[in-house]
Amino acid sequence: MVQIENSASQASGESRFLLSDNHVKSEQSVEPTLPVKKKRNLPGMPDPDAEVIALSPKTLMATNRFVCEICNKGFQRDQNLQLHRRGHNLPWKLRQRTNKEVRKRVYLCPEPTCIHHDPSRALGDLTGIKKHFCRKHGEKKFKCERCSKKYAVQSDWKAHMKTCGTREYRCDCGTLFSRRDSFITHRAFCDALAQESALSQPLAIMSSGGVMKLQVVAPPVAAVVSSPPPPPLTPSAGMLSPVLSIQSSEFPENHIPQLPPPPGAAAPFPGAPTVTASNSSTSSENVPGNGGVFASIFNVSTSAEHSHTAQPPVASYSTMLCTMNGPDQQVIDPMSLSLSSTLYLSSGSSSLYPAALEHPHRHYTPTPQPALSATALLQKAAQMGATSSNSSFLRGFGLSMIPPPDPQDLRNSVTAPSHWSNTTHVKLENNSVASGLGLGLPSSSSPASFNELMMNSSSLFGNVKPATLDFLGLGMGAGETSAGGFSAFLSSITGELDMTTNNSFAGVGSTMDTWDYPSDRKPSML
Amino acid sequence: MKAELQAGNSSSVSLQNPNLFPTSQSSISGALQGCLSSIDGACIERLLLHCANALERNDVTLAQQVMWVLNNVASSTGDPNQRLASYFLKPLILKASRVYPASINVNDSSGGDESFQRRPMSVTELARYVDLIPWYRFGFCASNGAILKAIQGFSRVHVLDFSITHCMQWPTLIDELSKLNEGVPTLRISVLSWRPRVPPSLNAPVQEVGQRLSNFAKFKDVPFEFNVIELTGLPHDQSSSDHLHYDLLIRLLMNDLSTLKIRDDEALVVNCQNWLRYIPDDRKMGNSSEIPSCRDCFLDMIKSINPCIVTVVDEDCDIGASSGLSSRITTCFNYLWIPFDALETFLPKHSLQRIEYESDFGQKIENFIGFEGVKRIEIFESTSKLSQRMVNNGFSSVAFCEDTIKEIKLLLDEHASGWGMKKDGDMLLLTWKGHNSVYASAWVPQRLTELEPWENSMLH
Repeated sequence: MVQIENSASQASGESRFLLSDNHVKSEQSVEPTLPVKKKRNLPGMPDPDAEVIALSPKTLMATNRFVCEICNKGFQRDQNLQLHRRGHNLPWKLRQRTNKEVRKRVYLCPEPTCIHHDPSRALGDLTGIKKHFCRKHGEKKFKCERCSKKYAVQSDWKAHMKTCGTREYRCDCGTLFSRRDSFITHRAFCDALAQESALSQPLAIMSSGGVMKLQVVAPPVAAVVSSPPPPPLTPSAGMLSPVLSIQSSEFPENHIPQLPPPPGAAAPFPGAPTVTASNSSTSSENVPGNGGVFASIFNVSTSAEHSHTAQPPVASYSTMLCTMNGPDQQVIDPMSLSLSSTLYLSSGSSSLYPAALEHPHRHYTPTPQPALSATALLQKAAQMGATSSNSSFLRGFGLSMIPPPDPQDLRNSVTAPSHWSNTTHVKLENNSVASGLGLGLPSSSSPASFNELMMNSSSLFGNVKPATLDFLGLGMGAGETSAGGFSAFLSSITGELDMTTNNSFAGVGSTMDTWDYPSDRKPSML
Repeated sequence: MKAELQAGNSSSVSLQNPNLFPTSQSSISGALQGCLSSIDGACIERLLLHCANALERNDVTLAQQVMWVLNNVASSTGDPNQRLASYFLKPLILKASRVYPASINVNDSSGGDESFQRRPMSVTELARYVDLIPWYRFGFCASNGAILKAIQGFSRVHVLDFSITHCMQWPTLIDELSKLNEGVPTLRISVLSWRPRVPPSLNAPVQEVGQRLSNFAKFKDVPFEFNVIELTGLPHDQSSSDHLHYDLLIRLLMNDLSTLKIRDDEALVVNCQNWLRYIPDDRKMGNSSEIPSCRDCFLDMIKSINPCIVTVVDEDCDIGASSGLSSRITTCFNYLWIPFDALETFLPKHSLQRIEYESDFGQKIENFIGFEGVKRIEIFESTSKLSQRMVNNGFSSVAFCEDTIKEIKLLLDEHASGWGMKKDGDMLLLTWKGHNSVYASAWVPQRLTELEPWENSMLH
């Protein structure tokens, strides 16, 4: 029994029959190679009761089989066409899903030589047969740019593009890129390129004079810059691999551990003629010259830097350097310096880049003995940074101490919330009322206890306790100012914004204020 | 954004006892009324607005209460809503501290919080940063496409680059130029020595960036020159308002075109990438008429140097008529959720890269919400307003070509599937889950001959 769904389908060259059917009605070029026998049990995949549908190539490849007679707009499904016909005020009818059990359909490949042309090898899915036909017998219209592989089915091509040479673009520094534009951008700024071009040209100082502007790192580095170019140093893979393995184990989230750039350490400032400045700004230019050298020496790898968490020693070191410089100075590379030091610390290897660091090391002044390796020097720097003692840190480098303009002020301000939080905590922990209130305040990391939050809020609000309670550690009634109390509140809040310590808030809100609820206050939102 | 919290956070809690809230009394319960069941974006937004209202009314008690709740909800390592909220909390506290002047001198720059130090990036880190999400790359791609089309036939190109991304846009342009069949033009890029003090921050000065670009151009056999335009004569302390910079810039550029060394045989390209929104836009009343704002003056100056193409890329954020605290919170919240949401789709909660990226957006929030007057350095403008402004200043828009659009689509395919693109007139908009984020547009000065006669007469 042939099921004809509508005239359109028949016109487009479908023929349908049951596998178990003796009677075959087919059209156009579709011809089953085997006569359909009235067998119940057929070997192979297709369900014997399945309805076999043989579509012509044209039908198979056609994407929009259902066409609106008014505007010739094509649709993939009849249902969609019907809905569209409504717009033309044409009679339309949506087919209901048949209540009888839906017969499974299987499809034949129209290509006679194809194995799936055999009803016993029919494929169970319309999309599948379309793709199959396209893939095997269709024209390959899609080409992968990277590997020139060709595809007939667009989704295949797209899927391939996602994986093809995902590691295609490789920078000399070892970083791999899946996208060309990110590769190009990286390449332009990569140290590997800088070194490559530097090697081909003699070193040149950016501009004359004023080299010492960057107080902290300038002296030794300037000396490096003025010396003849150091011999190119090639990394030895063996030496670098410990770094690699550490990186990959510590920082799994980053894609590929990179080989650190060859510590050729050549200053990336050759070819002064190509860089012109309308007004040669000597003050800021020299700094980069020096920093650049540092960058290439110590810029180990971006993944290491990325994965590096803001550990206190590094942060304060950089802060100090930031505050060391005058306002118009730019901190050039204390970051990479300190990050490298951390890397060394974490790697525990003291022999990384001994050659590369020879030059700057040699020019480091006083305190480190010649025997002290640069690695240890950097370790020491990081440690000194950790003690947050400006003067000793700088003296450790044998550099002159520049009275910092603001750091003391900064430290007195709330920007050192830890200081404040501590006092706040000390103050509040002694308050037995806190425990008396039974405020089991949730920490910020578990908003799941919003319920608790609400209950706590309500207990704070609902039970108006005597005035001894100071809400949020503030000694203010409604509308009064109390600088100290509010500052404590603020500092505890800002302390809470710290991503690493989320647990100290509990101590703060444990005292309460009396407040009144003016009845004329209405919620302005909602 | 009314996104629910992720399933993993199990924050949907229904309150068992509705009597917990004496609704007639405390306003905080009123604020929380809608939030009883779960903490979602809507709830957080409501809390923020409540806090803003309280601050505007100098109702510190209520403000404190809301902040207390917010503080327990927000977290810089939670889900996108929580993370976003944490960056709102800071400026609200800042504002509160001004309502109640304290002995605290909260450092105005967002680097004040020592718990998370956002360190400046190296150039290679920055290169990766701009490609993390299409937020910047979209603009680069579109602009470079428009530039390439506009400079066809010229043997020399001069790009005036006004941007905040430290020349990250140019390597791909250099690369494209190097592949031109009809001859590789000489490229000259001029940048300012000064940029707004906003993220992304780089640990190298612009000269170093220029040097690296030079190396790269050399490597690609593209004749290249890099200029840094010094804005001299400015006070060097950090408290100098950005206004001064723009005034000076405009004066400098208008009076001394030789600084730019503009040549007639060069195709002049002006690239305003995430730039215009930093130029102040207050119009003052002068003696007889309105004094045009800095932003309009800037555009006027640009027009006067007769570029062959002006690319404008910026953030499509519509602040609306009012710039009060509440409306700013709403605007900001309903716009900057986008990068937070996008980053959530592919970076883990404690990814440093993600936290750094978010903190940069957090800095925008801080400034936008926490500051008033000249200290608020970003003044957003919607696409329609920008279009109007450009037309008023004598520009007409140029469409992007099909190749560029195709390239952008390919680019977006490589990122999370929420990113999309749509057209708005001649402009292109980057969308995340259908919401507008960044727009890219290209403009040329209106030629007098293109105008209707009546328009012509209006100009004179």
